[in-house]
Amino acid sequence: MVDLEKLKNVAKETVSREDVKYLVGWRQGTYGFRVSPHFMTKPEDADKLIFSPLCVNNLATYLTLAEKLPVPRGEEPDTRKVALMVKGCDSRAVVQQLIEKGIERDSVYVIGCPCQGVLDLEKVEEKFPGVQSPVDVQWGDDKFIINLPDGTQEVPREELLAQKCLNCRYPNPVISDVMLWEEVEAWGNGEYADVKELEAMDSQERWTFWQEKFASCIRCYACRNACPMCYCEDCVLDRLNPQWVFRSNNISENTVFHLARAFHLAGRCIECGECERVCPMGLPLMSLNRKLAKEVREKYAFEPGLDPESKPFQSSYRPDDQEDFIL
Amino acid sequence: MDSKKLTKDKFGGFVELLSKQKLYVPQMVGETLRFAPVSSKDEVDLVFSNTVVPPKSVLFPQTETLYEYEAGGTELIMPEEPEEKVLLGVRPCDARALTIVDKLFSWDIDDPYYVNKRENTTIIGLACQEPGINCFCTSLGGGPASTEGIDLLLTDLGEGYLLQPLTEKGEKLCQDAGELLVEAAGEDRQAAESLHQEAAEKIVRKIEVDTIPQKLEELWESPLWKNISDACLGCGACTFLCPTCHCFDIQDEMEGFEGRRCRVWDSCMFEEYTLHTSGHNPRPTRRERTRNRVNHKYSYFVKNFGTIACVGCGRCIDNCPVNIDILDILSQVVKEAI
Repeated sequence: MVDLEKLKNVAKETVSREDVKYLVGWRQGTYGFRVSPHFMTKPEDADKLIFSPLCVNNLATYLTLAEKLPVPRGEEPDTRKVALMVKGCDSRAVVQQLIEKGIERDSVYVIGCPCQGVLDLEKVEEKFPGVQSPVDVQWGDDKFIINLPDGTQEVPREELLAQKCLNCRYPNPVISDVMLWEEVEAWGNGEYADVKELEAMDSQERWTFWQEKFASCIRCYACRNACPMCYCEDCVLDRLNPQWVFRSNNISENTVFHLARAFHLAGRCIECGECERVCPMGLPLMSLNRKLAKEVREKYAFEPGLDPESKPFQSSYRPDDQEDFIL
Repeated sequence: MDSKKLTKDKFGGFVELLSKQKLYVPQMVGETLRFAPVSSKDEVDLVFSNTVVPPKSVLFPQTETLYEYEAGGTELIMPEEPEEKVLLGVRPCDARALTIVDKLFSWDIDDPYYVNKRENTTIIGLACQEPGINCFCTSLGGGPASTEGIDLLLTDLGEGYLLQPLTEKGEKLCQDAGELLVEAAGEDRQAAESLHQEAAEKIVRKIEVDTIPQKLEELWESPLWKNISDACLGCGACTFLCPTCHCFDIQDEMEGFEGRRCRVWDSCMFEEYTLHTSGHNPRPTRRERTRNRVNHKYSYFVKNFGTIACVGCGRCIDNCPVNIDILDILSQVVKEAI
């Protein structure tokens, strides 16, 4: 069970270490059910740390998002570690970054937080609309305990669980330097019911479905920037010469954008659901990613982000791989 | 002209009248509410909090063709003159925001693309009755029934709407509506007044903005900016959905032998925004970009145009994936000792 005292103590010890630059955890947000990533550089900052069903953000994205400015002449680069709090899903992003050599193992200190499933922000804000002051939420047995300003409410777990958590098979971090509390039992079976719905459509229906979605994209790139696996220093979408994707916002360019991202994530997406969560236009982006994850898992028995010593999907060819789709 | 009243049984007729011009109302497009052209009167439903995408998207579209051309040709094909438009259901904060965007696009020279559209557009405002949890318009000189930038203000009285014409365009609309409208009674005006009052009282988030422009200048090198921007993902949700953000990029796009020069929304939160051809970037990290976003709204714009370029609509707060909250930033700015 969550032990906040222990979490704060471990955080204090961690930021005090000489080989740690800063620690990234979660803190209560400024209103309602929101949380914010919390960057700690000194032990006092630990007071604000939380771990609750609101801690939905995948902080692994900050490992690669940190800007690397040129080191001034005469100075040494700061090679200290970044300490990172991770849930099960988040930890798979760390592992996948290690597999791809996006980061090095000794550049990160992983603090594992076994997780019982986080809240779906949209569902909880719909159920309790108009809550302005920050709300504390706790895990109970098969329920969420929500401490609203006008009293405590208990809601069955299934009702408010985030989509990505409903079928979670990896609630426990798969990599950690320190594990904060006992592991929890996994509950998901990893089925792709949502993908099957889309697969059941004929191609015209599916095209109409996605056309409508892509047409409303505003290309704010929140999905790309929040994604812990989208860390190319030179993104294909930003290139100007050659320019692969026009800046114009229309169905054609928006479709190229989303499909390019989806294909680049095949065999790499660890299904943390951040792209879909951060999208201000409510695009069901995980349906694209999960379709490809399903193909990769079913056809090649491959899952990303589990073993740091393994090879990336694209370089793990086996003679018995399926190839019946090749004409 | 005095206020009028439109009973709800006449609302369909009123919408029909407005439809003689190109009528935009808040509608679900995909999964979100935004202003879109009406194709039948049944689509008009004025029960909503506010649109996710602000109405600036109609007058300053995300992608706008400036002209088209052919490879090797010398002729520029200009876009058609804008048609007359009506925007129905604009929230007072968003209408105020248009008056702010106006200042930019008619600064040294009039931007013909924006100004022509703006002049050909009638803004029908809709007073707020249920402000959102992150609304703070009252701190910036606005309010749930603020009239700036609005030609005709509607207040939902339950059985009908109170119509307050505020400009010639608004008065003309009322004249055209003729028999659909009745003279508003004193009690209708009072009812609207108290609804406006009630709505203003529902706004809980507030900030004292007077000292901010000066403070920001003094806080240029403050560690505040690093702390605020640590969590920033560098996406454009805050700026693209802001009703006053107006930055754009100009692109030449060729497809085969046909090309077009267009302008597209740009965001100061993108790395590319200030990237020089040389590779140098004067705003190299999210710290400088976040500082610029706040300074542009609360300092530079004040210097150039005498007004803060924020109307307190709360969209940047609602839509930030990592809870970077402009009111939180501003309250830190106010508190920060220099």
